[in-house]
Amino acid sequence: MKKDIVIIGGGAAGLAAALGAYDPSLDMLIIERGAMLGGILGQCIHHGFGLEVYKEELTGPEFANKLIQECHEKKIPYVLDTTVIDIEKKASFIILLSSIKDGLYHIEAKKVILTTGCYERTRGAIDIPGDRPKGIMPAGSAQRYLNMEGYLVGKNIFILGSGDIGLIMARRMTLEGAKVHGVADIMPYSNGLTRNIVQCLDDYQIPLYLSHTVTKIEGRERLERITINEVDQNYQPIIGTEKTFEVDTLLLSIGLIPDVKLFNHLKFDKHPITKSAIVNQHYESSIKGLYVCGNALHVHDLVDWVVIESKHCGSQAKMNLIHNQNDTLHKIDVIPKDHIRYVIPQLISFDEYSETIELKFRSTKKITEGTLEIIQHDRVIYSKKMKHVVPAEMKHVHLPFHMIQKDAPILVSMKEVCS
Amino acid sequence: MKTLTCTVCPVGCQISITNDLSISGNQCKRGEIYARQEMTDPRRMITTTLKTISASCPRLSVKTNNPVPKDKIFECLHMLHSMIITKNVKIGDIIVKDILNTGVDIIATKEINI
Amino acid sequence: MKDYVIIGSGIIGSLIAKELSKYQVDIMVLEKENDVVNGQTVANSAIIHAGYDLKPGTLKAKLCVKGNAMYDDLEKELSIPLLKTGGLVVAKNEKELDDLKRIYDQAIQNGIKGVSIINQETLRKKEPHLKSSLVAALDLPTTKVTFPWQVAMAALTFAKANGAQIKTNAKVTNITYQNGMFQVEINDEEWIETKHIISCAGVFSDHIARMIEGIMPYQILPRKGEYYVLDKRVKGLFQHVIYPLPNKKGKGVLIVPQTHGNILLGPTSTDISDKEDLSTTREGYQYIREEVIHLSDDIPFEEIIRSFAGVRAKSTYEDFYIKASKKYPSFYHVAGIDSPGLTAAPAIASYLIEHILDEKLVLKKHMNLEIQGFKLFHEHNDYDKKALIQSYPKHGHIVCKCECVTEQDIIDAISHPIGSDTIKGIKKRVRAGSGLCQGGYCEHLVLKIIARETNQDVTKINYASKNSNILNAIDEEI
Repeated sequence: MKKDIVIIGGGAAGLAAALGAYDPSLDMLIIERGAMLGGILGQCIHHGFGLEVYKEELTGPEFANKLIQECHEKKIPYVLDTTVIDIEKKASFIILLSSIKDGLYHIEAKKVILTTGCYERTRGAIDIPGDRPKGIMPAGSAQRYLNMEGYLVGKNIFILGSGDIGLIMARRMTLEGAKVHGVADIMPYSNGLTRNIVQCLDDYQIPLYLSHTVTKIEGRERLERITINEVDQNYQPIIGTEKTFEVDTLLLSIGLIPDVKLFNHLKFDKHPITKSAIVNQHYESSIKGLYVCGNALHVHDLVDWVVIESKHCGSQAKMNLIHNQNDTLHKIDVIPKDHIRYVIPQLISFDEYSETIELKFRSTKKITEGTLEIIQHDRVIYSKKMKHVVPAEMKHVHLPFHMIQKDAPILVSMKEVCS
Repeated sequence: MKTLTCTVCPVGCQISITNDLSISGNQCKRGEIYARQEMTDPRRMITTTLKTISASCPRLSVKTNNPVPKDKIFECLHMLHSMIITKNVKIGDIIVKDILNTGVDIIATKEINI
Repeated sequence: MKDYVIIGSGIIGSLIAKELSKYQVDIMVLEKENDVVNGQTVANSAIIHAGYDLKPGTLKAKLCVKGNAMYDDLEKELSIPLLKTGGLVVAKNEKELDDLKRIYDQAIQNGIKGVSIINQETLRKKEPHLKSSLVAALDLPTTKVTFPWQVAMAALTFAKANGAQIKTNAKVTNITYQNGMFQVEINDEEWIETKHIISCAGVFSDHIARMIEGIMPYQILPRKGEYYVLDKRVKGLFQHVIYPLPNKKGKGVLIVPQTHGNILLGPTSTDISDKEDLSTTREGYQYIREEVIHLSDDIPFEEIIRSFAGVRAKSTYEDFYIKASKKYPSFYHVAGIDSPGLTAAPAIASYLIEHILDEKLVLKKHMNLEIQGFKLFHEHNDYDKKALIQSYPKHGHIVCKCECVTEQDIIDAISHPIGSDTIKGIKKRVRAGSGLCQGGYCEHLVLKIIARETNQDVTKINYASKNSNILNAIDEEI
């Protein structure tokens, strides 16, 4: 089986990439390992999606449904319950698939778009000492058990991590009859939306312990007790600040990591901070024809941004196919500087058809008032005033392509305005 | 007097409001309206899931079409948890009309095929 | 009435059961937990040691070297994974060269084959990711790595296929002796009669021994070892098992490539009082990190996916205690089996049978040598896969995507003669949930498959022991 474009992952990013890449002359396929399209949105039954893309506030399943209907209307082919086992690059991509229905089989693809989303960071990755009882799980897993199946994973809960998923689960578990004893975050501020702090914690008098982390887990079979400590500026626990909680469940909302493990043997260039592919403005990785977008590229704050990015990525893959782009394009680096944690894309390719480059970045800290500067050859080629810049909210700027020269990297920097 | 965090925009002003509804701390008019509402008639949107008899889709996700009074949240949930969906449902279907006389409907956000 | 009751189903008990089951004797293995194969067997470095650090002439030294050689045959007999990594004991600086020479001499004395001291240049070629400042190393070609859980499971499968009975949730609570027979009390309520008892109860060996001995021949001194596990993405970073020079507490913090591609860092070595304390500690984490950077600057700490601790059965006797009880000659102690227990295990079994048991055993005329393994679908070659998936289409459904475990692999692990119906039991057998996302994706799928295959509600499925269910149905009452 030969395809023009294969999209691996049928969640928000995959569906949007398919819509962006759609052309009646192109042979496409979305490969989804789950039993339905829509990805993680199916279990995100709360509001908060769609304000940018559909100009209305929707729940996760409703947002997913809109994308799925658009794909159905265009008759974009997809397979469900199918997992990608292996992928090789020869002249084109050879993908090995596995399903109960069709067994093991190969398909060939000229372009591959990786939209495999994220997995949740687990306890093992953050060195929490103590016993290893049952009752510790990522918040997303608890959400899945509750919203898709109707099961509570515990009765007395503590949550580590005050990002939106931790806050949402604090409310959700409370509404379903569990007692949430508290939420802790190692940072001195919460990454979550203010609305969620109010409506998930304040509404239910759930205490928020900022600058705290879990320092001990106790329980032979099942979790019985956790200890939290305040931390200093180096995030080390301060002795004497122990607080214990008798809980049977610890939910972890401690970070999402792009799920690109499958593609490690393709040996694409990886970025140390995003932990995913280094890409150019077309979302093409260092492997020609392999595109990455959505949470598989970098963790987004809102699914709306995932859709916008993925539609763009899909259309770029289509353009590249139609224009048959030469791969020895000249590239320059995009380098994060003052107060900028990372920028996407990390490379800019000089081709004939780019008009504006969208640069997305996260700051390293909260900046009340600042000026974003883009610098090349030691000259500021673009600047924009920004307010209320926080690491939890990705920012975008659009840079006209003609402003950039071919012969030097561009630096992205946030100058803080001190008042 | 009460202090609350405004959730209308990302600034998150800390607004102080007294019993006689005198307001300070907001940076815009929307904050004033928000604070007044929170003090006099706080309301919230609810999202939850209902049990179904479908094996492939055991839970139907639902939402309120408008916010319900905050003090009626648990009562509404209690009522919803006693329900079982036995018929096919389309997104947008009204599952419960005017729940507990609040004037608010419960709407399906997912499709169920039994 | 049994001929032999074996107390403990870890690596020692299982390999003894396997060997004994070749003879015309009636065997029962008693395991106190809800599943077989626990304790030290599931919490060690998985190394088949060469034996360089052992005092010559001790039982540990002899049985380690013998057992090491026996693993090549065991690989074929039980179809177990065996990675022939070799080992390197590295000297960090010139001052350590004398110690290196000393353990080289000890290795020769212990009869270890193929040992040599290699220089800095050769070391660098063999392991480019070790620190270039390391000056020399002891090359140990006989060092290997296996997958201990699978070795023990395969041994128990063999034993069961040849008539042995295995009883889980069977805690030995008392032992009496009357009329030439032992009466073994299980769970304070049941009794089994047996002519002989072989006690290989790990850290609880002295607890069992106290039931029959007046004067205790040894005491167990529990010693904890903590480890880090790195994801299999790091496969190939190191080829050999890397050891620093040994110290008083043991072999030190090692870098250990595993059979499935992971790397272990550890262990620590701390004396503890509570035998069941398997907690990891802040000090342990720090110690591993501080020690291992003496060996390499390239340790990818960001690839850590989990940590664990095991408790070793170090004893006051200091050597393996494999003897008949003086008081009751048909009671055999196989105790104090800490390192190199895994390596010595097959040799311990033959030593026990050939030299310690007080009767001459007669081999069975017919034995079942073909046993059902736990080989995963994706560990087969392409030709076999085609045939397998045709007969068993559920191999098409990948349940654990991190470790590539299919639905049929899990179904087979449930229905296997040494099968399990718990999440941890499935994880032990086919590794579902052992990978990068630690079960974040697959745990709920494994749960549902177990529930379906065993005709139970998902809320009844246990994690490990009985009554360790992880889900509660939402109450209708709030």
